[in-house]
Amino acid sequence: MSLEQQMLTALVVDFPFEWNYIRSIVRVSLYVSLTAVALSTLLSLPVALLVGFKEFRGKTLLTSIINTGMGFPSVVVGLVVLFAVSNQGPLGSFDLVFTTEAMILSQIVLAAPVITGVSLAAVSSVEQNVRDAAYAMGGTNLDVALVTIKEARYGIATAVLAGFGRAISEVGSVLIVGGNIASSDGTSVTRTITTAIQLEARQGRFETAMILGAILVVLVLLVNAIVVRLGSGGGRYG
Amino acid sequence: MTIQRREFLSVLGGGVAVGLAGCTGADDSDGPEISGETLTLTTTTSTYDTGLLDELNAPFEDRYGVTVDAVAQGTGAALRTARDGDSDVVMVHARSLEDEFMEEGYGVNRRDLMFNDFVIVGESDDPADVEGEDDAAAAFEAIAEAEATFVSRGDESGTHTKELEIWDETGLTVEEFGEWYLDGGGGMGETLNTANLDGGYTLVDRGTFLDMRDEIDLELLVEGPVEGGSEMLMNPYGIVAVNPAVHDNVNYDLAMAYIGYITSLEGQEIIEEYRSNDEQLFFAEALSEDPNFRQYLPEGWERSSDD
Amino acid sequence: MTLEAIDVHHSYGYETVFEGVSLSVTPGEVVAIIGPSGVGKSTLLRLLALFDAPDDGAIVYDDDPVWEVSDQRRLEYRRRIGMVFQDASLFDASVRRNAEYGLRVRQSWRERLRHELGGLVGKENGTGAAVDALETVGLREQAEQDASSLSGGEAQRVAFARALAYDPDVLLLDEPTSDLDPRNTAVLEDAVLEARDRDIGVVIATHDMHQAERIADRVGVLLGDEIIEVGPTERVFEDPVDDRTRKFISGELIY
Ligand SMILES: Nc1ncnc2c1ncn2[C@@H]1O[C@H](COP(=O)(O)OP(=O)(O)OP(=O)(O)O)[C@@H](O)[C@H]1O
Ligand SMILES: [Mg+2]
Repeated sequence: MSLEQQMLTALVVDFPFEWNYIRSIVRVSLYVSLTAVALSTLLSLPVALLVGFKEFRGKTLLTSIINTGMGFPSVVVGLVVLFAVSNQGPLGSFDLVFTTEAMILSQIVLAAPVITGVSLAAVSSVEQNVRDAAYAMGGTNLDVALVTIKEARYGIATAVLAGFGRAISEVGSVLIVGGNIASSDGTSVTRTITTAIQLEARQGRFETAMILGAILVVLVLLVNAIVVRLGSGGGRYG
Repeated sequence: MTIQRREFLSVLGGGVAVGLAGCTGADDSDGPEISGETLTLTTTTSTYDTGLLDELNAPFEDRYGVTVDAVAQGTGAALRTARDGDSDVVMVHARSLEDEFMEEGYGVNRRDLMFNDFVIVGESDDPADVEGEDDAAAAFEAIAEAEATFVSRGDESGTHTKELEIWDETGLTVEEFGEWYLDGGGGMGETLNTANLDGGYTLVDRGTFLDMRDEIDLELLVEGPVEGGSEMLMNPYGIVAVNPAVHDNVNYDLAMAYIGYITSLEGQEIIEEYRSNDEQLFFAEALSEDPNFRQYLPEGWERSSDD
Repeated sequence: MTLEAIDVHHSYGYETVFEGVSLSVTPGEVVAIIGPSGVGKSTLLRLLALFDAPDDGAIVYDDDPVWEVSDQRRLEYRRRIGMVFQDASLFDASVRRNAEYGLRVRQSWRERLRHELGGLVGKENGTGAAVDALETVGLREQAEQDASSLSGGEAQRVAFARALAYDPDVLLLDEPTSDLDPRNTAVLEDAVLEARDRDIGVVIATHDMHQAERIADRVGVLLGDEIIEVGPTERVFEDPVDDRTRKFISGELIY
């Protein structure tokens, strides 16, 4: 048998048994990353608008925090979040260690700077004239902000997807704060695609690792394809 | 104080769990009080990767209507997590580190659980002439004497801890070793490979060595106690509950129920019968020739009452 | 309704633009502001549109000094003013959505949300006033088109419809036709006159003397940091009081 044939047989034979396991892992991954990205976006957009259009003290500092945060190593974020949610840490009483909530928290820390940074570039390129028009038509400051977001929608969508890409594919922080837990019946509790790949590969179950890897790659490719499309769509604005 | 998530969940899960307890006809009267809760167990990667825990935990979860979250970490991290009160019970195989954990008051009710053993492997030409040695410390001494290459895990894992314990026994100081003493810097597999390439000796758990034996040229030179060899190469696994007096948030009742279950006949039989690739990986303590049912304390340690 | 600037002083940093400028507009009249480039025509319109408070002096709406009232009250005043900028500044949306914008911001959040969700599933319920405003500038047919696909002239007409749709009391037009061809200019001027007939007060800043002559009832001449002359169009053009006005109109005074 060739290697491919072997792998194919392995897939077909193992698949029904592995399927629940894989599905639960993908579900946890998507739940954690989508929630983290949604919350990050809610957090990031006001900050991007603030930094983009308002003068305030500490603006330079905030900008450099955002820029540094975009490249923050995920293991470091994991450690910091672990420290925060640990029983000994400031959020200790919430009992969040090894939960999806803690994973969401750490992915927010990872994704929010990316989303803020890219959104900032997008909203900054919205012309002042258009914002003035919204104000002159009787819009409140909130309306002006909404118009700005709408005008920058392609750029913001790119930002959100970039944040999602970072969240779904990072392994360091979710491993540390989530603990990579699966229950004894073989469904994921805090196991994500990335931490599962690491574990499965370590344990020599390469078929499962490959399936998960393929799913992750497809997800990330999909996101990138959309980003590229939106990126070229954004240039259409005029 | 805010309501704890686990307590909250236990309220939610209570109804379900009572039903479950009824179904299984559990004879334990404290079932309803702990059911629906989650036990966080930290353990070492090597233990976790054998797959034994899934076999062990499923019947326990069914019986009590609880969930066991098993987190695989390095030995140091597993103990540290427990130390911080972020897990309820910890299962490791590093006696000296466990002792420290106990001595500092973070653990209570340690129990012997199971064991397997380490072996010393090396090249077949055996420059230090340790083959057949029945004292691990003597073998180590011979290696140091010959300044033959030795590859250490160097990662504070259970295996590394054991290695240091043996060096300690020889009275030699690791820090003073010359270039023959190498740091493998990673997992057991990598360390074995390094020893294989550099033609050195190393300490390895029997399971991993048997797994990799076909891919490397190293020979088993010093046997562990499983095959009647050096007692010092015993690799005992212990389980410790986190002290509720130090961390009031830990789920002590459930931790003790787990320890009770895992040292019971049912738990011990699962351990004894567990096979991976047709190989017995663990030997249950209670089913061994010389079972130890008592809590064991660090040697020469008396708990002072004033801390 | 009267919108007035009374003895307004204004500067950008150290650069003084106005030192005591007064101007008013009442319903059903068109007031043109003429003056050389950079003199502050746009600045005056922005002050009248309540973008910023003047450094000194007052903007008064119906005897109410707008910078001394509550934010809510000032918002109500702002919402009775429409503005068209030199460039169209349309939103990246359909022509109809642009025209509707002023009406939308005046709706409750509930209605707006329902409308947004309706838009997502393709159910568009156009508001009559927006369509009427597009009719006024002759662009009713283009309602569903993307605003970005319009020509410069069409875009400016949409911008006018956008300001007209919510039926303001005052329209402030900042050189609305300076980039347009004669045909589009004519359409916009007709629309201005139609607005005047609906009793809207119009202030139009322009470079184009002929445009001022064609549509304005009164003209204010902005020169230096003040309005040197204001009066009925015919009188200002035929018989200016200030000699600088005559020179400016005849083109002798080059800035
Ligand atoms: N935001 C601003 N910050 C600083 N200076 C400004 C600002 N806006 C306008 N100015 C200055 O104020 C003066 C008046 O500008 P304004 O745009 O009102 O002139 P204008 O009469 O509308 O000119 P144009 O006919 O070219 O449109 C100019 O000298 C300009 O440079
Ligand atoms: Mg201007």
